[in-house]
Amino acid sequence: MPALTPEIVPGLVAGGASCRMDAEIAPRFKVGDRVTARIVNPMSHTRLPRYIRGKTGTVARDHGVFALPDSSVCGVHSDPQHVYSVRFEADHLWGEHANANSSLYIDLFDVYIDPA
Amino acid sequence: MTIANEGSSIMADDHTHNEPPSDTAMRVKALETLLTEKGLLDPAAIDALVETYETRIGPRNGARVVARAWTDPDYRQRLLEDGTKAIAELGFSGVQGEDMVVVENTGDVHNMVVCTLCSCYPWPTLGLPPIWFKSAPYRARAVIDPRGVLKEFGVELSEDVELRVWDSNAELRYLVLPQRPAGTEGMSEDELAELVSRDSMIGTALADAPAG
Repeated sequence: MPALTPEIVPGLVAGGASCRMDAEIAPRFKVGDRVTARIVNPMSHTRLPRYIRGKTGTVARDHGVFALPDSSVCGVHSDPQHVYSVRFEADHLWGEHANANSSLYIDLFDVYIDPA
Repeated sequence: MTIANEGSSIMADDHTHNEPPSDTAMRVKALETLLTEKGLLDPAAIDALVETYETRIGPRNGARVVARAWTDPDYRQRLLEDGTKAIAELGFSGVQGEDMVVVENTGDVHNMVVCTLCSCYPWPTLGLPPIWFKSAPYRARAVIDPRGVLKEFGVELSEDVELRVWDSNAELRYLVLPQRPAGTEGMSEDELAELVSRDSMIGTALADAPAG
């Protein structure tokens, strides 16, 4: 019996698989905190894009706790982290070429950021 | 004989010649064949998946969500507070929509979504992402020059309006709640849903104006 059959497709599509985790972890940051993204250059998977590394922004929202994909891809299936929506001003990211009155929101795992 | 047969086959060959399949198409075919031969995949499951995303799951789902939010203030509130739960009320949950955030366009703020790392996209409400959403130029330019990108999509955004770009790089998926167009007072939820394009829920367009 194949792993993927037409019969299981509807359940698969409707169910999904959230990476949210129930772990009780105290958040290190709160809304309004200034944070700086770490300058790292891992050889493996990361969700921290280069254009954010070393930049400073403001925590806009705490999304709760999720499994860290950087660990999941290495076979570690439980590395729960808070994920924060962090706001960066466009002129801080792009300098003189930035658009006027623009900002960038990106979701950063706890391990990606330090207090600014 | 074989050569002769091949020869005659070529002579009789009057079908249209196509370009060879692209590398991607060949790789997909090879993977599908391998998975099937190893007994992991029933090819009919692929057909079921394609059929699902061609006919059942697509941006008309998201349009239902938007139209409901435009007509029901309590729903709009729930949608902005907990997108996942409010969208589930209408039955649009599932793969790549497990954890949803809805961001609202207003007279002061316009939101636009990109995944700079790949192609993350809210499947249950918008279906599969369009090619341009996955393209390197959109992914690079949407963060650096979002106003320029918007202009190419036909949207001239006043500099008085703050432009917020959302990079859906992690596990959250974003849906833009466009502004309800003027002149739609009294329109039904079904009529309003017709004004909600896919792009207006990505943030690269505004909701359509009502016909005439």
